Formats: sequence, C-alpha cells, structure tokens
Amino acid sequence: MIAKKFTFSKLLIGIILSGFTLTVFVPIANLFAKAFSDPGKVWMLRGYEILPKGFSLIHFEVIFGNPIIGRALLNSVIITVTGTALSVFFTTMTAYVLTRKNLVGKTPIMIFLIAIMIFEPGIVQEYLVMKDLHLLDNLWSMILYKTINVYYLIIMMRFIEDIPDSLTEAARIDGAGHLTTFTRIVLPLSRVPLLTIGMFYAVYRWNEFFKSSIFLSSRDHTVLQVLLRQFVVEKDSTTLVGATNLLENNSIAQLDFSALKAATIVVAMIPILMLYPIILKYYTSGVMEGGVKE
Amino acid sequence: MNAKLKKMWSDRVLYLMLLPAALFFCLFHVWPIIGMKLAFYDYRILGDDVFVGFKHFRNLFSTPVFSTVLANTLIISLMKLILIFPLPILFALMLNELVNGPFRKFVQIVSYLPHFLSWVVIAGIWFEFLSPSTGAVNEVLRLFGFPAHDFLTDKQAIRWVLVASEAWRSIGWDSIIYLAAILAINPSLYEAAYVDGANRWHIVTRIVLPHLYTPMVTIFILNVGFIMNAGLDQVLNFANDSVISKIDIIDTYVYRVGLINSQYSFATAANLFKSVIGVILVLSTHFISKKLTSKGAW
Repeated sequence: MIAKKFTFSKLLIGIILSGFTLTVFVPIANLFAKAFSDPGKVWMLRGYEILPKGFSLIHFEVIFGNPIIGRALLNSVIITVTGTALSVFFTTMTAYVLTRKNLVGKTPIMIFLIAIMIFEPGIVQEYLVMKDLHLLDNLWSMILYKTINVYYLIIMMRFIEDIPDSLTEAARIDGAGHLTTFTRIVLPLSRVPLLTIGMFYAVYRWNEFFKSSIFLSSRDHTVLQVLLRQFVVEKDSTTLVGATNLLENNSIAQLDFSALKAATIVVAMIPILMLYPIILKYYTSGVMEGGVKE
Repeated sequence: MNAKLKKMWSDRVLYLMLLPAALFFCLFHVWPIIGMKLAFYDYRILGDDVFVGFKHFRNLFSTPVFSTVLANTLIISLMKLILIFPLPILFALMLNELVNGPFRKFVQIVSYLPHFLSWVVIAGIWFEFLSPSTGAVNEVLRLFGFPAHDFLTDKQAIRWVLVASEAWRSIGWDSIIYLAAILAINPSLYEAAYVDGANRWHIVTRIVLPHLYTPMVTIFILNVGFIMNAGLDQVLNFANDSVISKIDIIDTYVYRVGLINSQYSFATAANLFKSVIGVILVLSTHFISKKLTSKGAW
C-alpha cells in the first residue's frame, strides 16, 4: 500500500490542516466559552481562548426566561418538525410514483419539475402569493413553503430506483395496491434515504431566516434565526434582555450583552450539534447520490 | 392512444398520489412564476393592473444603482468562484495524505460543521472573530505588531470578508466530493506506480489529480451557472451602512425595492431579468458539463 513515512511535506500538510481546523474550531469554541463564562469575568476572555472564565448558566437562564425568545424557539421547532415530516412524506410519495416503470406522462412531468427548479420567481412574487393565500404571519406559510424541494425529490428518486423491482412487483402480484406497496414495502425499505432527506430538510428549515423574516412579521410568529439576526446584525439589545426583565432583575442590568448574544447563537446551534452525528452518517451518502450540487 | 388511456386508468391511484405534489408546485412555483408578468404591468391595489410593456425594464437599465448591483453581483461571484474553487481540491489532497486516525477524524468533523450553520450564526461567529477589540484575528495582528483593524466597516476589505467567510463555511464540506473520488481510485494503480519507482509527488500529480478531473470540471462549470446568485443570505447578515455600496447585489436590491419600498412591478422586472439570465446560464452550463463529463446539474 501507500508508504506512510514521516517527511517534511507531511509536516507541512499537518501544519496547514491544523491551521485551517483551528480557524474553524477556535471562533466557535470561543463563543461557547463566552456563553458559559461568569458574567463578571466575560471581559477577560480573549478572542483566541476556548475555555470559559469561571462558569455560569445565567446567560441561558435569561434567554430561556425571556418569553419572546421562548416563543421564537417554539415556533422554530414547530416549523422544523412539522415541515420536515410533511416534506419527507410527500417527497417520498411523489418519488415513488415518478419511479414507476411505464408511467404515462413521466417525461413531461420531469421537464416540468426541472423547469420550476431552475426558474426562480423571486421573493416579491412569493410574498404576493402568500398574501393572496392569506398565509402571511401564519406559521403554515413557512411549513408549506417548498414542502417538496425538486432537487431532494430527484435524490429520493435515485434512492428508490435502487430498491429491487422484484420486491415491489411481488407485492403488486399479491394484489397490493400502489398505496399499500408504498406504505408497506417502499417506506420500510427506505430508512436510510428517509433519514438522509429528512436531514436535508431539517437543516434547511432550522437555518432558514430570510423567508421567515418576510412571511412571519409579528412578534408572536417570529422564529429563532430572525430574532438572532436582530441581536447579532441589527444590534437590538432591548428585545434580548427585555425591558421588564431589566427593571425586575438588577443582576441582569450588569450582564454582558456580547455574552448574551453568544448564548443565543449557542442555542441556535444546539439542534444542529445534536443531529450532527446522524448528519455526518447520512447526509454524505445523499450528496454522493445526488451528484455534485446540493 | 387507447392503450395509453387504459394504462393511465389502471394507474389512477398513482396519479391520485401525485395530487398533493401537483397542488404544492402549482401554489408555490407555478403561481409566482405566472405572477412575474407583473414586470410588464403597473401594480394596482384596487382593480386590474395596467399593462405598460417594457417601461420597468427601461427604467431599470437607466438606473445607475442597477448597474452597480449587477457589477457587485458579478464581482463577488467571480471572486468566490475563482479564489475558493481550488481550495476544497487541495484540502482533499492534503487530507488524503494523512493517516486515517484521530487527527484526520477531528479535521473532518470540525471542518464540515460550518456548512450546517445558518448565515446568521456564521455572521455572529465572524463578528466576534473579527472584532477590533477582542477578536482572535486582531489579537494575532497585534502579536505581529500591526494595528487592530475593523474589517467589517472597511469598504476595501468587505468583499474579502465575504470570500473568506464563504471559504470558511464551504472548504471542508465541498472537499467530500473530491475525497470520494480519491478513495474510489483502484489501489493497484499506486502499487504499480511504486514498482515503477514513482514517489509520492508523482502519485499525486500523475494518478490522483487526473482522477479528479471529472468532478473538477463539473463543479466549476455548474458554479458558473449560479453566478447570478452572489449569496443573499450572507450579504444580508454582513452588510452595514458603511459597506453596503460594495456588496449590494441584485437579490438585496430586489428585496429592498420590492418589499421595503413596495415597488412590486419594478422589483419584479429586476428579478425577471436575473431569473432569465440565471436560466440561460444554468441550462447552458448543464449541457456543456454533460458533454464534457457526462454529469449535469441534475
């Protein structure tokens, strides 16, 4: 096999890769350190440090105690969970139909799908459609928006094509209808592809902020990423701490705003980090199956 | 024809199963696409829209701001395309030189992560990273005797911040395609090369790189197809008043004019222009890529 001996070039490669990995790792770890630091000592934390100064959960207590943030977090979870479940089910069902042999009209359907995949109507028209559907400022707008992503549908079709025809044909011969074949044969056999596109959809939905900021305008329906953008980009600190909170709780007045921001970012990252092992396991195979572009 | 109808009738359950998808696509794709005809009309809140032909396009092309945002879009896209494109390839090649152990695992796990973070989160991380007072970058600058610098409000620097943060987000993840291509190389090729007296450098340049040709060409060409998308989510989070003139792109312009100023028709014209160019680019790059590497965008 390949000789793996120690050479100067190997050392150089090690240094370059470590350097890049650290530029990814340190800023993220630094935010975690900041979020968990003692509020009185946050100012001592330098940008390259990855361990908290002291330890405190006060920043997270403030965040979870803030009704606006709690509401946004709940909305994000509702949209991600409901949306992903609907997406996965309907994408798979559509993929099942489109992979049936000799389906009359398959070519025009595929051309139609590719046409709507590459022609982007843009945000103004999407906004006007949501307005006409009376879905503005309603969580359903973000749940239903792009329930079926054409690109993921094509990936799902490639997965289902891998299921041996003999299995579905046997079920059909035994008298099972398409609906039964789909729910009893194809769904149970598609655990890996279901998890894969489930990850695709869940990551997309959790991270989405642009459409949410437009479709969901009121405070009650806002999502975590949109709120986070207000703190981080628009530097709006009153919402984060909350005016009533400031009056009622003296210790909060002394909190470091940048540490509160860090804690909110950490909260927005937690679901991704929790799913990360599964993502690493299944997402990769999806990328391979789908070819080169996401 | 009769046989076809008969087959369709016997498959009627299948078509029923397509109904939900058809409904979704009509509501959220076809309807807004048809709605783009607004670019040729004046929007009216009450009553019918008024047909005005190419008026909005004439206004669009005579607005100096539009040429600025078009130029910004192309400049930012091209900077990203050319500067970032080689990096995942180099990353995969270097990763392949590492022994499969804990260090390599760590590099992979850490470097893939940013791909899954939203641009809001990444902006939050980068604002701290680049902070003039406590950020790691400026700590390092000070260590080497340079003064601290606020890159995020510097007009000369902001496009480089976009390129750097995009690289930071995508190098690791985008290297997966290349790494897979490297792992698919038949090991007997290496053995034969060693027998012939090749060294590691020969192996990389004569065996590994040629195997990366197909994914390289495909990815490069397809990225050209997406050149009209300079990164809306990224720009929205990195923009501020001091630098917006350098990174205002078509998408942010459409958003501002259309949804903040409510000039629906004019913004739709700008978007239609972008979408049509986008379709032409994606289609032509798809067919070029299909021809050269037999792999397309779908």
